[in-house]
Amino acid sequence: MKLLIIEDEKALANSIREFFHHENHICEMAYTYDEAREKVNLYDYDCVLVDINLPDGNGLDIIKELKENKVDTGIIIISARNTVGDKITGLDLGADDYLTKPFHLTELNARVKSVVRRRSFEGQREILFNEIRIVPDRMEVFIDKNLIDLTRKEYDMLLYFISNKDRVLSKESIAEHLWGDEIDMADSFDFLYTHIKNLRKKIVENGGRDYIQTIYGIGYKFLSSGK
Amino acid sequence: MKLLTKTSLYYILFSMITFIIGGIIFYNTVKNIMYRQIDENLVTEQLLVEEAINITDTVPDYTSVFGHMIQVLPYIKIYNQVELIHDTAVYDSSVKEIIDCRHLKYIMLSTSKQGYTINIYKPLKNTKSMIAEIIFSITILFLSLMIILFIVNYFISRRAWIPFYRTLGKLSSYKVTQDESLKLPDSKIHEFHLLNETLEMMSQQIHRDYVSLKEFNENAAHELQTPLAIIKSKLDLLIQDQNLTPDQYTKIESAYEALRRISRLNQGLLLISRINNNQFEETEDVNIAALLKKLLDNFSELISGKNIHVDAIFNDEVILKMNPTLAEILLSNLLSNAIRYNFNEGWIKVELSSRSLVISNTGNPLKVSPRILFERFRKSSSTGDSVGLGLAIVNKIVLYYGMKIEFTSTDSIHNLKITF
Repeated sequence: MKLLIIEDEKALANSIREFFHHENHICEMAYTYDEAREKVNLYDYDCVLVDINLPDGNGLDIIKELKENKVDTGIIIISARNTVGDKITGLDLGADDYLTKPFHLTELNARVKSVVRRRSFEGQREILFNEIRIVPDRMEVFIDKNLIDLTRKEYDMLLYFISNKDRVLSKESIAEHLWGDEIDMADSFDFLYTHIKNLRKKIVENGGRDYIQTIYGIGYKFLSSGK
Repeated sequence: MKLLTKTSLYYILFSMITFIIGGIIFYNTVKNIMYRQIDENLVTEQLLVEEAINITDTVPDYTSVFGHMIQVLPYIKIYNQVELIHDTAVYDSSVKEIIDCRHLKYIMLSTSKQGYTINIYKPLKNTKSMIAEIIFSITILFLSLMIILFIVNYFISRRAWIPFYRTLGKLSSYKVTQDESLKLPDSKIHEFHLLNETLEMMSQQIHRDYVSLKEFNENAAHELQTPLAIIKSKLDLLIQDQNLTPDQYTKIESAYEALRRISRLNQGLLLISRINNNQFEETEDVNIAALLKKLLDNFSELISGKNIHVDAIFNDEVILKMNPTLAEILLSNLLSNAIRYNFNEGWIKVELSSRSLVISNTGNPLKVSPRILFERFRKSSSTGDSVGLGLAIVNKIVLYYGMKIEFTSTDSIHNLKITF
């Protein structure tokens, strides 16, 4: 997968690149509006991450340009602005998603994968992971041939885990992914444990491997090879 | 007390004092003039009587001249000549009553060395009634002048102060948060013109300061988002390191927690400044019951995690014209507070009716007054990661929509009531 990161904060841009580099994605960087325009016009990307506030221009203009020339590219806005108006403007222009700073890289990763999946695998609407098969359109999860019954949150959690397999996920990032970051429930991360236990149980009981590893003190990890 | 009442009262008070003092002086002056006249007459009379006695050397036979009662008596012992005039009262046999008189008593020695006492009495009745009449008419004149001046002054003042009250009216409805600047009606009266000019300038200055402070707050909060994003991304990368020990993970988790608090604080401040900036103007019909159901559903894991029993009673379908984001923030803050500060195995009761929403929940008794919980950065305890903005935001939104919020608390039961 080829990504373009348009972000003037080099430290943040480098974090994103480093994170995606581990997934064997190709990341290109654009720190300025001009640089970004040039790259967008010259090359094709699967997904472009756009910061709206660039020192020499507005990221929204890049989205407009992308929409005119490169219809297949997924676009995710990463912005410090967090108003409904900004989100609507961005999405109306054709961005696929809008992520407010500060965000977790694992969240960004999940969003990028979701956008790319929706855009590029037109025919292939399924996510395959070892014996697990997910059909996002119907929100169904199969282990081998068995359909397993997951709650909405368990389903979201599984998808988040698979998007970030072999990554350490902090409890906070999981909670924010499932319940949204508007909700203040910092002292309640313990309840996550119950959900993860249930998810693990459902996978294992239906013949799946035990993938979820607890990382003491910080969170969980979904091991692609199983424990 | 109104200014006009105050000045009028002073006006009356000082007029009265002037009137009383002036009246006394005037009365005395008139009286003195009259008495001097009477006394002069008495002396003239006395000279005439004295002359008659000197010529005839007998007691004259007349008893009254020009309405004066004259009495001349032989006087045996003569010490010296005495002449005195004073007020007295004598019995008048003709009208059979005691009358006030001016009395001249004169002891003389005639040319024949015979002593006589001359008493001349002048009844004061006419003089007194004359003085009374003069004083009366003067009083009437003075009083009517005072009343007319008072009325005229009252109406002039009232008219003259109209621009002032207009300015006052404009000022009391002016809010520094509003966008249009303070426009005061111009006045032809120099002082009010100056006042209005000064006030307009002052309000513009205050408004400018307010706007720049507001912008500063918003910009500062925005500028904070990027460094926060950098820290978060670096921590996200750091925890991917295979060689970290559980102890190091715990430390990173603490850093995450602190970061989460800053982010939440920052979001809260941004939200408040956005509400202040009227950035939530667009409204739509929000179904409160549906929103509450949706939020309770979203919180269900938190609720079941604490084994909290929820009782939701929706008596009426309530549709409010609100900004949907604000409505959601308002209700989600209230519900998350009710969950967060609840006991394990506690309960929450949500009751919605057409006029009000009441959220009651169990929880530790409050250590501070419920009132100050609505202020920024107030917390009932220092536990947890609360940044103390939740209820301040709730209060802000409630005020923004002109609703009323009440918080009552008895030991371990807290009730929050919002009246629409």
